[in-house]
Amino acid sequence: MRVIVVGAGEVGFHTADRLAREGHEVVVVEQNRAALRSVEERLNVLALEGNGAEARVLEEAGIGECGLFIAVTDVDEVNLVACLLAKEYGVPVKIARVRSVAYTGRGAVLNAEKLGIELLINPMEAVAQDLINIASHAAAVEVAEFADGRILFVGYPITASSPVAGLTLAEIGELRAMYPFVVAAITRHGRTLIPRGDDTVEPDDHVFLVMRREDLGAVRYMFGLEKRQTRRIFVFGGGAVGQRVAEHFDRERAEVTLVEPDRARCEDLAARARRATILQADITEVDVLLSEGIGKADVVVATTPNEEKNILASLLAKRHGARRALCLVDQPAYVGLVPSLGIDACISPRLSTASAILKYVRRGGVLSVATVEENQAEVLELRIPEGFPWAHRPLREVPFPRGALVGAVVRGDEAFIPTGETALQPGDRIVVFALPEAVVAVEDFFGAQ
Amino acid sequence: MNLFALARVLGGLGLALSAMLLVPLALSLADGDGAQAGFFGAIAAGLGGGASLLALGRRGSPDLTHREGFAVVTLGWFFFGVVGALPYRLTGALPTLVDAVFESLSGFTTTGATVLTDIEALPRSLLLWRATTHWLGGMGIIVLGLAILPMLGVGGMQMFRAEVPGPTADRLRPRIQDTAKLLWGVYVLFTAAETLLLMLGGLDWFEAVCHAFATMATGGFSTRNASVAGFGSAYVDAVITVFMFLAGVNFALHHAALTGGWRRVLRNEELRAYGLLTLGAVGILMIANAAGPYPDLLQNLRYSAFQAVSILTTTGFGTADYEAWPVVGQVLLVLLMFIGGCAGSTGGGMKVSRVVLILKHAWAQLWALIHPRGVRLVKMDGRPVPPEVLQGVLGFFALYLLVTGGGALAMAALGVEPVTAVASVIACVGNIGPGLGDVGPVDNYAHLPQTGKAVLTFCMLAGRLELFTVFVLFFPGAWRK
Repeated sequence: MRVIVVGAGEVGFHTADRLAREGHEVVVVEQNRAALRSVEERLNVLALEGNGAEARVLEEAGIGECGLFIAVTDVDEVNLVACLLAKEYGVPVKIARVRSVAYTGRGAVLNAEKLGIELLINPMEAVAQDLINIASHAAAVEVAEFADGRILFVGYPITASSPVAGLTLAEIGELRAMYPFVVAAITRHGRTLIPRGDDTVEPDDHVFLVMRREDLGAVRYMFGLEKRQTRRIFVFGGGAVGQRVAEHFDRERAEVTLVEPDRARCEDLAARARRATILQADITEVDVLLSEGIGKADVVVATTPNEEKNILASLLAKRHGARRALCLVDQPAYVGLVPSLGIDACISPRLSTASAILKYVRRGGVLSVATVEENQAEVLELRIPEGFPWAHRPLREVPFPRGALVGAVVRGDEAFIPTGETALQPGDRIVVFALPEAVVAVEDFFGAQ
Repeated sequence: MNLFALARVLGGLGLALSAMLLVPLALSLADGDGAQAGFFGAIAAGLGGGASLLALGRRGSPDLTHREGFAVVTLGWFFFGVVGALPYRLTGALPTLVDAVFESLSGFTTTGATVLTDIEALPRSLLLWRATTHWLGGMGIIVLGLAILPMLGVGGMQMFRAEVPGPTADRLRPRIQDTAKLLWGVYVLFTAAETLLLMLGGLDWFEAVCHAFATMATGGFSTRNASVAGFGSAYVDAVITVFMFLAGVNFALHHAALTGGWRRVLRNEELRAYGLLTLGAVGILMIANAAGPYPDLLQNLRYSAFQAVSILTTTGFGTADYEAWPVVGQVLLVLLMFIGGCAGSTGGGMKVSRVVLILKHAWAQLWALIHPRGVRLVKMDGRPVPPEVLQGVLGFFALYLLVTGGGALAMAALGVEPVTAVASVIACVGNIGPGLGDVGPVDNYAHLPQTGKAVLTFCMLAGRLELFTVFVLFFPGAWRK
C-alpha cells in the first residue's frame, strides 16, 4: 500500500519508520531540508521536499494510488488542509494530528465527521490517557485493555525481592494452573524477547503479562505487588495533559494535588477542580511538596513541558518517599535512559501519537492495538475470520508465525487464557503478542487486511 | 447627581402610587366606613407631588447613572412610605405622623411590625391598604415600576440591582423590563394560588387576599389581633407555612421551575442550603418543644414548623407565643432572623447565599492555613465567585452587624429595656416584625418612644434596601456632579 506521511517531525518519522518496516511504500513530504535529509539517510522511504498542503506536491508524491494519508506537521491547519486535499483525491483513509481541542473536544463544531477525515489525533489526549491507565494500575509500567476491558495486558517491573525473580518460566508456569496468565514478553536492557520455558526472570526485567481482569488481584499477589490502590496522586504541571490527568482522578474521588507555578493558571484550574488541591509552587520546591505530603503519594505524574525538570522532580519525589513516578519525556535520547534512573514509566507524546495512528491503521480484522516499550512489540486484538484454515485444530498444531503468540481468547461472553490444546473457532476474538517483524505475518495469517 | 432625572422617576412613581390607592378607596366607598377622606388626601398628595416632580424633571436630561439609581430607590421608598402613611394619620387611626410612617414603611419593607394596638377595630379599607403596602414592597416598587413604567427603562439595571435583594441579581431576559414583568408575573400567580387555597379553607375573600398579600411578600400584617392564630385552623396554618417557604425562594428559580428548568433549580446551592436550614430549624425546635409545650407530635410539627418558617423567611406571622418556649428555641429563632430568605426572594435578613458565602470563605481561610501555597476559589453552584462579589458580601456582613449594634445602642440610650432594644433592631433590620421581650410575637411596637420608632423606621428601610443603597447616599461624593 502506498502511504503518504506529511511532516517528518518525531511522530512522522516514527510512523513512517514503522510502516516502512512492515513493507509499505512510504513517501514522506517535508519542507525542512535538514529533517528531510535525516529521513532519507535513516529510513527506507521516498523523501520529498515541499508543502504537504499543496496539490502539486501531493500529486508528485503519487496521491492517486495512495491508500493511507497521514498529516502530522506541527501546524493543525496545514494537517487539516492536507487531509481535505487528500479527500478530494479519493484517499480512503486520512489521519491528521491536531493539537487544538477545538476539533477534538466534546461538542466541537468542526469534528472529524464533518471534516470528512477518518481520524483526528490530539497528542495531548493520547498522552493523558496513557498516563491515566498506568497511574491507575499500581506498580504497572504498561497497561492496555482488550476485549472491552475483560483482557488486560500489563507490564510489571521485577525487583530483587520479587517472589518470581530467578525462577524460570517453566517454574512460573506450574503456578499458572492456579492463576491462568501468559508471560508474553520480557524486556531486558532495552531489548524485547519472547521467552521460552527455560528463560529465567531476572531483577530489573520488565515482564509483560496477558490475563483476565478478574485474575488481576491474584496475579499481583503472586508477583509480590501490593494490593494498595492508587489513592494519593501528585500531578506536576497544570498544562493540558496535567489538567486531564488531574481531572480524571478528581472525578474518581482520589486525593489529587496539582502543582503549577503560574498563579493565573492555578486559578483557572481551581475554578474547574472539584476536590483537588491546587498548589502554586515550582515542582522542585521540595519543602512545599513535603509539607503537602508528597512522601505519602502513591504516584507522581510529571507533565511539565520541561523534560529535564520532569525527570529531576520525579526522582526527588521518589527520594522523599513517593511510591511511583511517571514522567512525560519526549526526547528520544531520554526515553531509553529514564527507566534506568528509577522512574517507573515514561510516556512520550511522540510515541503515544504514533501508536494511536498505528492502532487506527490496523483496522479491518484487527480490533485493537497496543505497543510495548517504544514500539519494540505490539499487542493486537483480532477476529478469527470465517473459513480460517486452522480453525478447530489444537493451537500446538497451528504453524503460527515466528515471534508471535496467542495471549488470550474471547469467545462469546467468556474470556480465557489458551493452552496448547485450545482450538480456535471462527468468530473468536484473540489477543496476539507480536514482535515488529512478525506483525505483517500475523495479519496475513489471520486474513486481516 | 442628575436631580432632574431623579425628579422625573420619583414623579412617575408618585403617580403610580396614587393609582394603587384607588383600590382601598373603592372598598372604603363601598363599605361606607368613613375612611375615604384619608385615601383622598393621600391620592391628592401622590398626584400633586408626582405631577410637580414630573414637571421639574422635564427640564433636564433623563439619563440616569448608577448614582441616581441608589438615590431614586432610597428616596422613592421614602416617598412611598410618607404618602402611604397619610391614610393612617388622616383617618386618625394612629396618633402621630411618626407612628403612621412607621406603620406604612413597616408595610412596604415587608417587616410587619405594627404600632396598632387593636387591629380588628380598623375599617376593612385600611386593613386592605396595610396588606397592599406589603404586596407592593415585597417584589419591590422599582421592579414594579420597571414592569409598568416605560420611562424607567433608562438606567434600569442600576435601580434593579439597588433594590433586588442578594449579592448578585439574575437577569431572566436580556431586557430588564421583561425580567421585571416575568418576576411580577410569577408573584401574581403565587398570590392568586394562595388566595384560592385560603378561601377553600373557609376564609372570606377579604381575609384571604390580605393574608396572601402578606405571605407572598413575607410581610406579616394580619387582619386579626392574634395574627394567623386567630383562625385556629390547621389547614390555614399549613397553607401559609408552605407559601411562606415558597416566598423565601429566589423568584428567578420559581420562574425556571414553572418553565421546565428543573436542572437549574436542583443544582442551585442556595436553595439546597435554604431547604436544609429549614428542615434543621424545624427539627431542633420540635426536639426542644417535645419535652415542653407540645407533647403531641402533629401539634408540635404544626407550631414548630410555622414559627420556624415564619421567622426564617422574615414573614413574622404568629400562631404561638415562642417566648413561652424553651430558651434554646428562642435563641435559634433569633439566629434565623439574621439569615433570612434566599437572594431574589421577598424575604429579608442577610440572605442564605450571603451566609453560605461567608461560611465558605471562612472554610477557605482555614484551608489556606493548612495549605499555605494552595490555590482555592470559593465556588457557588460549581462556578467560582468573583472576588469583588465576595468582598461585597463581607462588607455587607460588617455593615449589617454595625447597623444592628448601632441601632441597639441607640434604642438602649432611649431608655428601652435591653432585650427589647436588641431584639427590636434585629427584627426591623431583618424585616421580620416580632422580636423578643416587649416586642415579642404577642406584643406590638406602640409603647416604644417616638424617637425609637424613627430609628426603627430607618432600620427597616436600610434593611430592605440592603444597607449599601441607603448608606451610599450619606457619602458626600454620591451627590457631587
